[in-house]
Amino acid sequence: MALVDLLLVVGIIAGVYSLLAIGMNMHWGDTGLLNFAHAGFFAVGAYTSAILTTPPATGSLATRVVGFDLPIVVGLLAGTVLAGLVGVLIALPSVRLEGDYLAIVTLSAAELIRLLIHNEAWLTTGAQTLKNIPRPLDATIPFSYDLFYFVLVWALVGVCYLLFERLSSSPFGRVLHAIRENDDVPLALGKNTYVFKLKSFGIGAAIAGLAGGLWAHYVYAISSIMFLPSITFLIWAAVIIGGAGSYTGAILGASVIVFLRQITRFIPGDVPFGDQLSYIRLMVVGVVLILVLYYRPQGLLGDAERLQAGTSE
Amino acid sequence: MVLDPQLVWNGLVVGSIISVSALGLTLIFGILNFINIAYGDYMAAGAYVAWAVNAQAGLPIGVAIVAGILVMSVGSVVLDKLVFQHFRTRSPITLLIVSIGVAFFIRNLLRAIWGPSGHFYDLPMEASPSFAGVRFSVEQVAIIVVSLLLLLGVYVMLRRTRIGIAMRAASDDRMLSRIRGVDTEKLVLYVWLIGGAIAGLSGIMLGLDAQIRPNMGFTALIAIFAAVILGGIGDPKGAVAGGYFIGVAQEVSVAVIPSEYKFGVGLVALIIGLLTRPDGLFGEATR
Repeated sequence: MALVDLLLVVGIIAGVYSLLAIGMNMHWGDTGLLNFAHAGFFAVGAYTSAILTTPPATGSLATRVVGFDLPIVVGLLAGTVLAGLVGVLIALPSVRLEGDYLAIVTLSAAELIRLLIHNEAWLTTGAQTLKNIPRPLDATIPFSYDLFYFVLVWALVGVCYLLFERLSSSPFGRVLHAIRENDDVPLALGKNTYVFKLKSFGIGAAIAGLAGGLWAHYVYAISSIMFLPSITFLIWAAVIIGGAGSYTGAILGASVIVFLRQITRFIPGDVPFGDQLSYIRLMVVGVVLILVLYYRPQGLLGDAERLQAGTSE
Repeated sequence: MVLDPQLVWNGLVVGSIISVSALGLTLIFGILNFINIAYGDYMAAGAYVAWAVNAQAGLPIGVAIVAGILVMSVGSVVLDKLVFQHFRTRSPITLLIVSIGVAFFIRNLLRAIWGPSGHFYDLPMEASPSFAGVRFSVEQVAIIVVSLLLLLGVYVMLRRTRIGIAMRAASDDRMLSRIRGVDTEKLVLYVWLIGGAIAGLSGIMLGLDAQIRPNMGFTALIAIFAAVILGGIGDPKGAVAGGYFIGVAQEVSVAVIPSEYKFGVGLVALIIGLLTRPDGLFGEATR
């Protein structure tokens, strides 16, 4: 494959990860909530859109009896909304919990979502891959499809970036920041912090759902092992490396992580340790995460003031 | 409904593994005050070291177990000196995220050295005897006996030895124990030695009961967290009770719900526990 084609593929993945990081930055960067369920929201978006836009499976071995064959736009929107609702549902009993308790509960909830996807074969084809997910405008694009999808994904990243930047500096965003710094203060000022946290959780989860839909419609086929908690941890690494609280940082961090993970595509396969490269690059992600936290705790583009979050208790 | 003794037995085996690992995690939490996401990967590393000594070097399983425990005990201290020590004054949440980096590193190091596929210990083949209608393996009996001995040992250490009493004091109130002359940095060293050894041992037990895989510890982590939180974070007695409770509940639930969902039992227990008894079963959570 030519270098340009490779860069487009990596760029599309970076765009999807950027959307995930934008959602995570709303949770952690703006509100100070430790969300570890991101892979779950990503999965809800991907599966919702895939199920809505494909017909039910046919044939004697078919397990999936549900499928709607609707337009892709409907699938993407429904995936976004449903992921947001699932986010609120998970947040309802758990968002009052203190920082690291919330992390554990959300991590478990995401695994439960994966367990459901893995086992409810009538809905999701279970352990097998859900195949033949349609690509938008597949037949009508006269030039490179990857170029079209690249532009589509990054246009959506751009829209979400502007939207979330605006939201972050709006009165709503300022309440979220106040919750992050010390949630007694906005409470004393008459803000219902519980509802604000729920909204933050729902909105961030919805964007992760959109990312899931875009991912599903790009890769044709999805399966439950694509949505392991390691996705959540990679997005955490992206937000921390980019700089918590900064949406530009979230996008930069996601791009850095995706580049680190995909860089071996650009290296010929016959170098020493060729087989181990995929593992070594994830080890590098771990080391970079620790080094950034040590030398530049505010991240590449983060605000040093933001570091106060979570330390007030 | 009559409880199936076979399911209860399976639950006790799983519960023993969860209890021991939860005890290690909660001890580390008590002194260092952060949730160590890499703990599951410490367990996996212990299981792999033992596997290398047992199946690759061809030494008996007993030697391999000791090797796995020692390597993880010393390895935890080395990791502390290399990484965690430099973050001692940072917030618990920063440390939690640092431990994600450590987890990435360890898990992929295991994959790079030993490959992503599963392994089994090289054990002498023995028939599974049965007693009163319950089928069990020699490894399962060993897991239960060893965990009981370990739990007893740690209990005696926490109650009777100077270092154990200092640990409980520091876990309760770090500042006060320092004022009273407890050297908390020395405690940190001991807790990594002990916690790392327990992680190594519980990883080996997990590998004996099932399969050795790079993500085995991480997969087990949710049940372990559930046990720790259910028991009251930082409370060793609670972690052990929580571990047995979740192990038995998870296995016995198979009689009522589809077995694919038994791992959901820990999660449900966790959420109910947090909502009704946020300070743990015995109300002795240290935070």
